[in-house]
Amino acid sequence: MQAVISPSRPRTGITRLTGGLLVKNQQLIPADLWISSITGKILHSQQVFYEHHAIPDETVDLQGKILCPGFIDVQFNGAFGFDFSTVPTDTEGGMATYEKGLRGLNRRLVRTGVTSYLPTLPSQRPEVYHQTLKYLGPSGGKRDAWEGSESLGAHCEGPFISRTKNGIHSLQVLREAPNGFADMENCYGAENLTPSADEAGRRTTPIAMITAAPEVPGISSCIPSVTQHGIRFAIGHTEATYEEASTAIAAGASMITHIFNAMRPLHHRNPGIFGVLGKAEGKERPYYGVISDGIHLHPTTVKIAWAAHPDGFILVTDAMKTVGLPDGVYDWTNGDRWVKKGALLTREGSETIAGSSATLVECVSNFWTWSHASIPEVVRAVTETPAEMLGLKGVKGCLEAGADADLLVLDVSEEAAGRREVKVERVWKFGVLVHDARDETVGV
Amino acid sequence: MDEYVGIPREHPESYHSFMYNHFFSHVDVDPANINILDGNAEDLEEECIAYEEKIKRAGGIELFLGGIGPDGHIAFNEPGSSLHSRTRVKTLAYETILANSRFFGNDLSKVPKMALTVGVQTVLDAREVVIIITGPHKALAVQKCLEGGVNHMWTLSALQLHPYALIVVDEDATLELQVKTVKYFKSIELVASSQGFGQGLESGEAVGKKRDSMLERLDSPSSPRKMGEGFLAAPGEGRPGVKRAVTPELVPDSMHERLPEDGVEEEKKVELGAMQAKEVPSLLAMHERVDSAQA
Repeated sequence: MQAVISPSRPRTGITRLTGGLLVKNQQLIPADLWISSITGKILHSQQVFYEHHAIPDETVDLQGKILCPGFIDVQFNGAFGFDFSTVPTDTEGGMATYEKGLRGLNRRLVRTGVTSYLPTLPSQRPEVYHQTLKYLGPSGGKRDAWEGSESLGAHCEGPFISRTKNGIHSLQVLREAPNGFADMENCYGAENLTPSADEAGRRTTPIAMITAAPEVPGISSCIPSVTQHGIRFAIGHTEATYEEASTAIAAGASMITHIFNAMRPLHHRNPGIFGVLGKAEGKERPYYGVISDGIHLHPTTVKIAWAAHPDGFILVTDAMKTVGLPDGVYDWTNGDRWVKKGALLTREGSETIAGSSATLVECVSNFWTWSHASIPEVVRAVTETPAEMLGLKGVKGCLEAGADADLLVLDVSEEAAGRREVKVERVWKFGVLVHDARDETVGV
Repeated sequence: MDEYVGIPREHPESYHSFMYNHFFSHVDVDPANINILDGNAEDLEEECIAYEEKIKRAGGIELFLGGIGPDGHIAFNEPGSSLHSRTRVKTLAYETILANSRFFGNDLSKVPKMALTVGVQTVLDAREVVIIITGPHKALAVQKCLEGGVNHMWTLSALQLHPYALIVVDEDATLELQVKTVKYFKSIELVASSQGFGQGLESGEAVGKKRDSMLERLDSPSSPRKMGEGFLAAPGEGRPGVKRAVTPELVPDSMHERLPEDGVEEEKKVELGAMQAKEVPSLLAMHERVDSAQA
């Protein structure tokens, strides 16, 4: 039936997504979703309908496919040849080149389904932080879909970490904090730790999260200051015991960076950091990042980690700039070089894993294959849970009215030998379709 | 047709939500064409008056589609509502509040106590009314409203006075009815469908046109229809398929003129000869005839 609509009706910027399965409230719900390309948000369709008499400009039939929030990667060091911690030399164009590279990365990254992320800097010299962090802070203030993926603030992984759990972080740049928070301000730059309101009125700091080792001198006393600035404190690259980790969590630490990697393993008499995921009276359980690239952790370990505390389980890539590049040897900061072989990335001349070359959707497929968790449970680990961890519940990572309309249409399939595959078919950023795998003309 | 007073429009139990979730969000309808009573209007009475006025200006309700409560209420016209009622603020019956509490966390204090609703007369003024009733819990109401008299305690019963009312029920809803009643309605439905006419109602426009042309004819007796026109007309382009002998025009003449005068008539004259009086006999007194007989 054709509605009686006056032809002069103004365009509303509303798109109605119908016929899909919404990942909502940890279920797959057949329902419609209305999004606005003007506000960039998910609409309360009934309210808009009755109050503003608004009708969608366009109705998109999702044909039974899954519609979920855009993925969030809270540990992401670079991709497609761009590395957040590499400052181009003056002959290479300096920070202008850096900015351009960053813009290019954002536009390519959004096509992989990662609509927002924390640009992550492994341990660096203070100059690097001072130069780069002003480009890496929250970038969604303009709400421009064509900028691509959005930074939710930087993740500084180090340099206040253990010298014995450094992974590939250069030992020369690691630091201690005998003067407490002042040392952090010196290292990162005080302006990068100070909250301000962005154009949309959201309270943000350039740095969203700091990974540090609580046993490093001065660090445990910094935790309350860090969290008071609205910054998440993550425990990682640490020799901390179960007790030390518990104390840090009580002080405000809310996250564990790539659990099992760069920390003491679980021992039955000394459970280490993994122990804090266990339920204990009067103790908060933290969120924790898991790299399910198939290299950092055994599939069973991933399953055990998930089973321990599903509400805190966050999938991360720890991806390096080699994502999307061919195999070979690549230069990195502090004079190091890496060897990329498929998804495996190691420091040249060693067995040490140097982050991953996997995309987040690959990690999602892996986790789904290994865990046989439901699709909502799998999706939650890269949407709702990281958003909650970052204090963005109801803003990112969900399909509730009022949240940002960062959306994905997923193509899911079960292949032979039990392999389960998730593919990103379409991507909306701030209510605008920015990628369609079936149509090359769409996109940034 | 009705809405609770004082609950947010977006409340999951509001009638706005119900209509949106079950109907409007599935069809292509311009929201500007939707009129639902606003239970949060500043002046509720004004809202009700405006609603009746809007109905009038739209030319009346063409089709009223609704259901009933187990107590036979139509819209929120609870038992005891005037059958002449119009759109108004209505206090809900205790029974309704109890029944609704399951939607409000079983907390009676959270259940709205008032509602805005169209009146029974508003419903009766609709050109066509369709009521859908299912389930055994409404069977008693069906019995009261169909087999009982018109009664304000079962407000749906007022529908007996409506010329185009259709009640759609499932088998369960007929449980309290007499077998005879159920059979009667089934039989008229059967006959109707076998004769090729269902429950369809001609559009108001078509009926109006028919009525207008009828009135025109009734109002102008000075031009009576000539014989031989209309239904008695000879088969022509207008009435294909009808073959009928032409009825001759009436020619007023005397009977005898139509008698034939040829040979056929001679024979008839012979037959009739004995009956024809040649001479009229002279009148005689009785005794004269007696005497001649004796002689």
